[in-house]
Amino acid sequence: MALIWFLPLFLLFLMASLPVFFGMLAAPGILLWLNGQERDLTLLYRNLYNGIDSFPLMAIPFFMLAGELMNRGGITLRLVEFAQALMGHFRGGLAHVNVLSSMLFAGLSGSAVADTSALGSMLIPAMEKQGYTRKFAAAITAASSVIGPIIPPSGIMIIYAYVMGESVAALFLAGIVPGILVGVGLMIAVKVMADKYDFPIAAPRQSWGQRGQASLKAFFPLMTPVIILGGILAGVFTPTEAAAVAVLYALVISLFVLRTMRVSELPDVLGRAALTSAVVLLLVGAAMSFKTVVSLSQTPQLMADWVLTLTANPLILLLLINLLLFVVGMFLDAGPAIIILAPILGPVFTGMGVDSLHFAIIMCVNLTVGLATPPMGLVLFVAAAVSRERVMTIARAIVPFLLVEIAVILLITFVPAISMTVPRLTGFAD
Amino acid sequence: QDWTLRAVANSNEDDEDYDGLQVFKSHVEAASNGAIAVDIYMGTQLCSNGAECLQGVADGSIDVYISTLDGAAGLFPYFQVLDLPYIMADDRVAERVLSGDFMRDLRDRALADSGDTLRLMTIGNTGGWRNFANTQRRVQTPADLQGLKLRTVVADLPQELARAMGASPTPIPWPELFTSLQTNVVEGTANGITDIMSMRFPDAGLRHLTLDGHAYMGAYWWMSNERFMDMPEDMRRIVVDGFYQLQQATFASPKRKSIAAYEAFAAAGGEVYVPTPEEKAAFTEAAAPVYDWFTGTVDGGDEILAAFREAVAEAEEGLAAERDRDIQ
Amino acid sequence: MRLIAAVIRPLSRVNEAVLTAGRAIGIAAIAIMVAVTIVQVFQRYVMNSALAWPDEAARFCMLWMTALMAPTAFRRGGFVAIDFLPGILPATGVRILNLILLSLSMLVLVVAVQIGWREVTGLGGRFASASLFIPTSWDLSSWYRVPRSWMMASLPVGLGMLIAVNIELWLRNLAEMLGTRDLPPIPGGDGMDTGARGVD
Ligand code: NA
Ligand code: NA
Repeated sequence: MALIWFLPLFLLFLMASLPVFFGMLAAPGILLWLNGQERDLTLLYRNLYNGIDSFPLMAIPFFMLAGELMNRGGITLRLVEFAQALMGHFRGGLAHVNVLSSMLFAGLSGSAVADTSALGSMLIPAMEKQGYTRKFAAAITAASSVIGPIIPPSGIMIIYAYVMGESVAALFLAGIVPGILVGVGLMIAVKVMADKYDFPIAAPRQSWGQRGQASLKAFFPLMTPVIILGGILAGVFTPTEAAAVAVLYALVISLFVLRTMRVSELPDVLGRAALTSAVVLLLVGAAMSFKTVVSLSQTPQLMADWVLTLTANPLILLLLINLLLFVVGMFLDAGPAIIILAPILGPVFTGMGVDSLHFAIIMCVNLTVGLATPPMGLVLFVAAAVSRERVMTIARAIVPFLLVEIAVILLITFVPAISMTVPRLTGFAD
Repeated sequence: QDWTLRAVANSNEDDEDYDGLQVFKSHVEAASNGAIAVDIYMGTQLCSNGAECLQGVADGSIDVYISTLDGAAGLFPYFQVLDLPYIMADDRVAERVLSGDFMRDLRDRALADSGDTLRLMTIGNTGGWRNFANTQRRVQTPADLQGLKLRTVVADLPQELARAMGASPTPIPWPELFTSLQTNVVEGTANGITDIMSMRFPDAGLRHLTLDGHAYMGAYWWMSNERFMDMPEDMRRIVVDGFYQLQQATFASPKRKSIAAYEAFAAAGGEVYVPTPEEKAAFTEAAAPVYDWFTGTVDGGDEILAAFREAVAEAEEGLAAERDRDIQ
Repeated sequence: MRLIAAVIRPLSRVNEAVLTAGRAIGIAAIAIMVAVTIVQVFQRYVMNSALAWPDEAARFCMLWMTALMAPTAFRRGGFVAIDFLPGILPATGVRILNLILLSLSMLVLVVAVQIGWREVTGLGGRFASASLFIPTSWDLSSWYRVPRSWMMASLPVGLGMLIAVNIELWLRNLAEMLGTRDLPPIPGGDGMDTGARGVD
């Protein structure tokens, strides 16, 4: 039986709700075994192990840990207060604050889920108190939290870079403008809705003195992205080391400067980061095994041939791929989706002349937005949990914001300069 | 066909390893009249580093594999003898030594040490010679390397060499090297010109290349011993000849490829410096601690270094005699 | 039914004890990873003298962290899956589906642990570490070069723990399907439970 049958088998396992980790090993494994290629089972295992044994991959547990340390009430509160000082006096002020806080929080954390749970638990009740509906508050929280993994640091970008052999630094730099664009798009949507539905104003305009004070209190958390990106660009450390430095920085400010955490809480924080990282690392290892069978079965070539029978126009193909990614994002989390799809789709598009960095951003942004789409949107579930609103209710309320995000995805897709300019200016892309 | 050999090289299709494999495949398939087929897997599709791939050769999931020195040294530390700097003067010496009995002695040792699983078939070249290259300044003498953060692989000998030159050895994984050069996490590296250009290091600020030629970039071609010995002798002969052809191809390929690479390096603003004989002597002298380190820490180091020096001397003698006749 | 419960209780206790120890080591491992990486940045950037071992030491810790933490995640349902189907099946259907899926994952684990053990004891395990040594005398005059097998052993150990967890989950599903209601719950609530499943 042709090895390529591992793909439908894998799909079957996935739909039957077998954990992705087991599916990525079982489907190719069974096919190899049926084909009598038993010596290749050893290769499958070996790439599982070797996929985890990597220094660049270490950025995942590190950024996860830094995010956990930053994700403390005190630090999040300072960011929100800062955002409020800047935008609280607009009509729909708290909705704007919600979006801006997500953009700021994105510079500390690489995860949309962390964003939703940290900011949502603070802002959703506050918005409700001011007269926003609960479903609207939860929807804007979920919609804006997808900025978390687009603005660096970003867990899924580290995974993409590792699985596809791209530069982490280049991906991080390429994500900045698209992330800001999503934020600005959401703010425009909020503005339109605020005028139409007469949203409340959160607070009177603050004086520049008050704003200065809020900035000062938020100064240390806001310095995190500066340290991470500045350190990488200035050659103090590699991206992996930057992640470790971010941990140290977060540790120092949360334990000693802002005192938002006690030493006794440290084991739990370490344990949580280690636990989530372990799941992701196993998955990345399985992805490297999976990739072995993807190349043994010549899937990318077969895929490319088939895709070219549809159309040879890269613009139409990019449109189709966005559609595919969007549908996949409805059912699968961004990390696993990247792990599964990047090795299959990446070569097809770079082969057609799409810049690999540009394609990476299209894929990452699209799948991240998928975290907020029903029926299986991770951040929708988290938003539902923190707001105690029903998932389907939030899913309906989030539609206008999703439309904005789809527009941004299309913009990013057809204007490569949005992703490529910053990496080009810094010499990380040509 | 009766035998399908699965051949793996971790480099890409632009590499001389691929040229060698093409020649091997063509010779073996033709000479065996199709009894032997060769499937080539480039890159990290099947396995991604020396330890992993050599284990694959040992257990039969891979038949042919090319490792560089840092891949093999983890199992056979004495292989590092070929990386001792400034012992072999040029290509002619190196090619003669690597075609001779010294390689056969290494093969016997490796077979014994791997429990008769890993058979060294031939030693070719991958990427010419290792040279010092950096982003900061022209390097004419070891003093110019003083304090430079020099990227090395995580293997003992290259680190000892960097230290002996007064540089600061800095282990950086190969995929992170471009960014690290660009951001000055490291300031220099020791590579051949073809690798420097295929990785676009000049774009990361690499400007100064000194042709000190401190190490010959040997390519160690392994085959599963079991697989090899399972073949009848006439087939083995064809395979052995195939590896001879492969070796010749990898000797020649980097020479041809480096021409374009040097041109591209110059076009990218790079500067190539060729040290004078005196400066070269200074490099050799500065490298002395590395030999002591090798004989002091590697089991049987004394013996194998002596055998190596003897092989080099013999090759030089033979070459000198041939040259004398050729110029008359 | 009694019989199954009688097997589940001790197995669950053993699993919990082993996994607790695993988590403790995993927590230490991630702390060491951060520490040695910071040391390396300091050595290289401030002292201008990079060390050879932090890279490998950190990877050593990451492998063991992954292997020792993953079984806990598996036991607490933290392995990523598309859980669409269980949402629309009746309770008994879900249990039958779970038994099938757990059998499939058991198959993967059993095959993997066997290959893994061969790998550890095979030639690949004999490769010497490039930079990791441990002292073999009190005065630190002699050092032993760590073989690669010490790193490689992490995955088979983790797979072994996953097998034990898999058996427990399988039995729990069976027991619940047969109507047992008084099984001890899988412990959690130590501050490590998290809604997040992965990097997203
Ligand atoms: Na982020
Ligand atoms: Na938000």
